[in-house]
Amino acid sequence: MAKNQDIIKSTDLMSDLRYQITNQIEGKSLLACIQCGVCSSGCTVSQYIDLQPHRVVACLLLGLKDKVLNSNAIWYCSLCHRCTERCPKSVDFSFILALVRNMAVKEGYIPPEYEVSINAVLQHGFTVPYSGDMKKTIDRNRAKFGLPEIIPPKLDELIFIVKETGLEKTLEDAKKKKKRG
Amino acid sequence: MDYAFFLGCTIPLRYPQLEAATRAVCDILGIGLKEIHGASCCPEPVAIQSLGIETWLTLGARNLALVEKMNLDVLTVCSGCFETLKTVHVMLGKDKKYFDMVNKILNKIGYEYKGTSKVYNIAEILSEDDIIQKIKNAVSLPLEGIRLASHSGCHLIRPSKILEFDNPERPELMNKILSALGAEVIQYSETVTCCGYCARLNEEIGDDLCEIKFTDLEKNKVEALITVCPACTSQYDLHERKINRDREEKMEIPVIHLPEIMALAFGINPKSENMDIMKRAIRPRKLLEKLKIKI
Repeated sequence: MAKNQDIIKSTDLMSDLRYQITNQIEGKSLLACIQCGVCSSGCTVSQYIDLQPHRVVACLLLGLKDKVLNSNAIWYCSLCHRCTERCPKSVDFSFILALVRNMAVKEGYIPPEYEVSINAVLQHGFTVPYSGDMKKTIDRNRAKFGLPEIIPPKLDELIFIVKETGLEKTLEDAKKKKKRG
Repeated sequence: MDYAFFLGCTIPLRYPQLEAATRAVCDILGIGLKEIHGASCCPEPVAIQSLGIETWLTLGARNLALVEKMNLDVLTVCSGCFETLKTVHVMLGKDKKYFDMVNKILNKIGYEYKGTSKVYNIAEILSEDDIIQKIKNAVSLPLEGIRLASHSGCHLIRPSKILEFDNPERPELMNKILSALGAEVIQYSETVTCCGYCARLNEEIGDDLCEIKFTDLEKNKVEALITVCPACTSQYDLHERKINRDREEKMEIPVIHLPEIMALAFGINPKSENMDIMKRAIRPRKLLEKLKIKI
């Protein structure tokens, strides 16, 4: 007999979870899944993850939000896109996983490495720091090869985009949540 | 033919020697590269896409809008940039709701994204039939008898319904270029094995995947691994050094970016203002010896 903690009550299911994916760009393919498991059999990281790709899809369809968001599968994906490539029903799983990571970020789970990347883009325009002494060193290295000067983007444009698309607020809210513990 | 040259972050800022080799090769082949002023990070398809799809799409569309103003198609040298820009282009072309959302934001800062510029990766352009002919004509130091293996990487070939680049399970285009250089192209079982760079939140994954790749390359007596993506290039180069630390007999399979190996075959001095092939953890000493190149 299944232990009590293994039993999922219907009241634990979030019936609209699937629509949080399908109403986004490229998300509709989620509904086509037939649970054949081709995605999982070809997954580059299958031996490292605690929830296989087809099970992630099943959980999304059932409405098991916590099970998906607590799984390491959403972060360990190597983005090799073999799941999407081989799916006989054209489910774009590797992209859907990005939509799931967006969902996790809104709940406050943000890998510090990703925060470093967005901060670098906002401060320098690139994921590699390009200002002050760093810029001098880079420019010197480029000059050795006679490469043209880099004309970086206007940072206020990038900051505006991050604000208008809601990411600025998401990151601020996540910081507050972290502070509250 | 002229293209808007999208540099990205890693190549121009970390590995300018790869940019130099790319420019030198394109110059010889008559491929015109025009600078894009004010381009930002593509933005990269791991962190930024994971944080917010709308942000990723809009930043990508801003870069493409800059290219559209130049009335050119865009040429990328990094597979990450290629994946981002091409995916943004294809997805916004299919989804009117997101197309409008992106433009509503871009309009406020004086941009318009139309979707008129096509997105190419350099390997795609270099493997076109007329360019292959030009490559054959430009080779002054044929790589005869050199056993080369190619690694297309994931973000160049999959998902094929979006990237429309090469055979997603058995890529051939890079090999076509290497054959034109006169090299002996090695077919090996781990051709499409991912380098693991994007799974960087768990280091073990990259370690294991690189070990699998190099075991196969060594078994096949490969003399250099040719890559097109700066992330795959540094991932393999650094992991080979890591694997070598625990071994008595060290491997020497240099990881070389496609334009670099082309520049070498075109007779460009490998340590000059056009390239620096020694700037890597595993240096191609044996390869240069075999080609009788002294530096």
